[in-house]
Amino acid sequence: MALLETHDLSKAFGALTAVNAVSLRVEAGTLHSIIGPNGAGKTTLFNLLTGTFPPSAGRIVFDGSDITGTPAHRIAHLGLARSFQRTNVFPAFSLLDNVWLAAFACSKSWRGLLWRRADRYPEATAQARAALADVGLGEKADQPAREISHGEQRQLELAIALAAAPRVLLLDEPAAGLSPEETRRMVALVRALKGRYTIVLIEHKMDIIMNVSDRISVMHFGSLIAEGTPEEIQRNAEVRRAYLGGVAA
Amino acid sequence: MRALVLILAAVVLLPFIVRPAIASEIWIFAIFGLGLNLLLGYTGLLSFGQSTFFGSAAYVAGYLLKHYAIGVFAALGIGVAVGAISALLVGYLCVQRSGLYFIMLTFALNQLFYFIAYQWTTVTGGEDGMPGVPRPAMLGIDFRDPVAYYIFVSVLFLLSLWLMKRIVDSPLGKILQGIRENEVRAEAVGYHVPRFKLLAFVIGGAFSGLAGVLYAMLFGIVPLEAIGFVTSGNVVFATLIGGSGSLYGPIIGSFVFIWLSESMSVVWARWPLLLGVAFIVVVLFFRGGVVEAWDRIWRFSKRTT
Amino acid sequence: MNLLLGQILNGIATGMLYALMGLGLSLITGVLNIPNFAHGALFAIGAYFLVSVVGLLGNFWLGLLVAPIGVALLGLLIEYAGVRRLYAAGHDYQLLFTFGLALILNELIIVIWGPVGISHLPPAILRGGVDLGFTFYPKYRLFVMAMAGLLVVATWLFLEKTRYGAIMRAGIENKEMVSLLGIDIHWLFTVAFALGAYLAGIAGALTAPIRGLSPGMGVDMLGIAFVVVALGGLGNLLGAIAAGLLIGVAQAVVAAYWTEASTAVIFAVMAAVLLVRPQGLFGIR
Ligand SMILES: Nc1ncnc2c1ncn2[C@@H]1O[C@H](COP(=O)(O)OP(=O)(O)O)[C@@H](O)[C@H]1O
Ligand SMILES: [Mg+2]
Repeated sequence: MALLETHDLSKAFGALTAVNAVSLRVEAGTLHSIIGPNGAGKTTLFNLLTGTFPPSAGRIVFDGSDITGTPAHRIAHLGLARSFQRTNVFPAFSLLDNVWLAAFACSKSWRGLLWRRADRYPEATAQARAALADVGLGEKADQPAREISHGEQRQLELAIALAAAPRVLLLDEPAAGLSPEETRRMVALVRALKGRYTIVLIEHKMDIIMNVSDRISVMHFGSLIAEGTPEEIQRNAEVRRAYLGGVAA
Repeated sequence: MRALVLILAAVVLLPFIVRPAIASEIWIFAIFGLGLNLLLGYTGLLSFGQSTFFGSAAYVAGYLLKHYAIGVFAALGIGVAVGAISALLVGYLCVQRSGLYFIMLTFALNQLFYFIAYQWTTVTGGEDGMPGVPRPAMLGIDFRDPVAYYIFVSVLFLLSLWLMKRIVDSPLGKILQGIRENEVRAEAVGYHVPRFKLLAFVIGGAFSGLAGVLYAMLFGIVPLEAIGFVTSGNVVFATLIGGSGSLYGPIIGSFVFIWLSESMSVVWARWPLLLGVAFIVVVLFFRGGVVEAWDRIWRFSKRTT
Repeated sequence: MNLLLGQILNGIATGMLYALMGLGLSLITGVLNIPNFAHGALFAIGAYFLVSVVGLLGNFWLGLLVAPIGVALLGLLIEYAGVRRLYAAGHDYQLLFTFGLALILNELIIVIWGPVGISHLPPAILRGGVDLGFTFYPKYRLFVMAMAGLLVVATWLFLEKTRYGAIMRAGIENKEMVSLLGIDIHWLFTVAFALGAYLAGIAGALTAPIRGLSPGMGVDMLGIAFVVVALGGLGNLLGAIAAGLLIGVAQAVVAAYWTEASTAVIFAVMAAVLLVRPQGLFGIR
């Protein structure tokens, strides 16, 4: 059964159609990758899925209910969490506070919002620590986010998404700007998360994609031009022409 | 803990150093600053219209004290409510815009309330202000005695400080700081940012309202300036010189500001000019607030001796 | 009915002045990205300069020419000596600076020209009125309408049709691009501030014979300029005109029936519009 679906989803910015009639089905429990050259509309698709802005046309269905037009803050509570392509954290906060904020947002109750001390929420704190440990940042919980390395910030980005205990993880180029070594670590991380969550992964680097994905959708100029297993995508002539060029040959 | 000891010591010692009325004014202004700083320091919202809530509360509670002889606690309650409600109205319009638009809106809406107060002379007295606000006795304590009133104000100040500390240490405090740090991410992890900004407005407005009532009772009059832009500017100035980065900044700022304006107003009738000069000097040379200024003066005096 | 038509004309005249104020503020705020709380004070200084120049030289036209230039020079100085050092400082300190400046200018007005209001007559040729058929209307207000209209058109031509104007618009929309084009952004900032100050100054000078002068005139106008920008949008010329006319006419019409509310109504109209359209008349940002 598809957990997340889009039907003819489109988004236009003035004359530019960044996402063009995209119909996507993400099966529960799978890792579904979206690839495509820069500017293909992948991030915009995520922005639509997470309610950053409403689509120009089309529908989004999550777990059987129509969530088109639901604003971003509500989407998070439905169980869709995202990481950003460009690191987007709370710079002055400690790593723990960064993650805690996400954990608290989606915790069962906000009782004591105005008067209980923030450190007296053991459940949210435990969840936050677990998310940090999951990405390998458990040791640095008390450091300010602005002081850790770029690679660690990418990991934190992922931890913030995990802390909400989501049903679907939307990861936008988690390995953006990482060194080969850091990339390997990030791939291992994503692989470890596979199966625990339904994951939609945007990625540029072909080797990563072919290794971890169950299914791959290819975007080009806002449209989906192919979908299939990694093998099918590798064989697809149109994809090779449009995107892969000689790279994966 | 050390901050608390210092503040308690200041509360006890202050009336021996300055007139009780001035001492009261310092703590009242500090309450006002605490309310602003939830917006300015914690949420990153530069409101230039805080006197809207301060003044509205002062007028409404002052009017009821004067004409309907309500009790002190009723006046405080009404002031807090008026502060919160006016902040809800103003905040609702302002939080939908950001950056410079936000600042300009807080000021423009401040002007709306100002001109209502200015023209509604039958109630507010217009330019002459609303004199004759009493300080009714309560539980046998005569608040007309400046020292008794000072103690009353101090207790309310300490209560406000405790309450504000609870708020900034609560999840709400974290969320507001998160909004200051990164609005987009705060929204993405599941917080309805405008709603939380509005909440900050309402709480800040409640504190401003409390300060407004205490101010009206302190001087026995609600001057038109209580709801004017200069008052809004003053509380921003005080908070910034004290340092908007900490809970205690507005308290330090209130000290410095009241002292500054009191001493300047005896020097020259055109003292707002000196105040303007002080603003500019602070902005150009002491941007880190008094803490940094102190540091610099300290180093300078060491070098010259 | 004729009263109402007359008031609407009055509203258009003041509305055009409001638009000028908003335009000037829009240039400064948009290009420099600072809150300019001294904009009202610049307006007031423009009016007082006019009175002094006319007093010295006995010629209104020279005053109208010189006074705004004086304000522009003052703006130049303010940007060059102060604001320039604050671009990295954050809106809170920038605000405190311009607000401190406003306090100083306001007090200087009282020190130099006195705390009491001054009235100022229009030049002889513009005194009296003309018969418009439905009402007898003061010549000077017609002149203000034409003059303000001319200035708005001139500003529009400058922004849309000249290279410098294009750079200035780029400065509002995309500062990086300006630097990429190899243009000295400091120079752009200084010119934008001076130009904005000029518009505030000439609005002040034109207002003097209508409303007279008082030290409080600057602050009142500051709030109004903010309303124009909040409703019209930063850097939006049409928005400024629409917003200026809207509040100018609303104010004039209300003044005919309920004088006391005539200033508050400006801000009430803004609140009402924002209630329906939070993003302003043309929905910008
Ligand atoms: N908020 C926006 N406003 C205008 N254009 C945008 C916006 N976001 C993205 N675009 C444009 O949409 C296209 C797709 O961008 P994006 O989704 O970021 O691509 P990708 O993530 O695949 O590299 C690009 O041409 C980009 O410039
Ligand atoms: Mg992208």
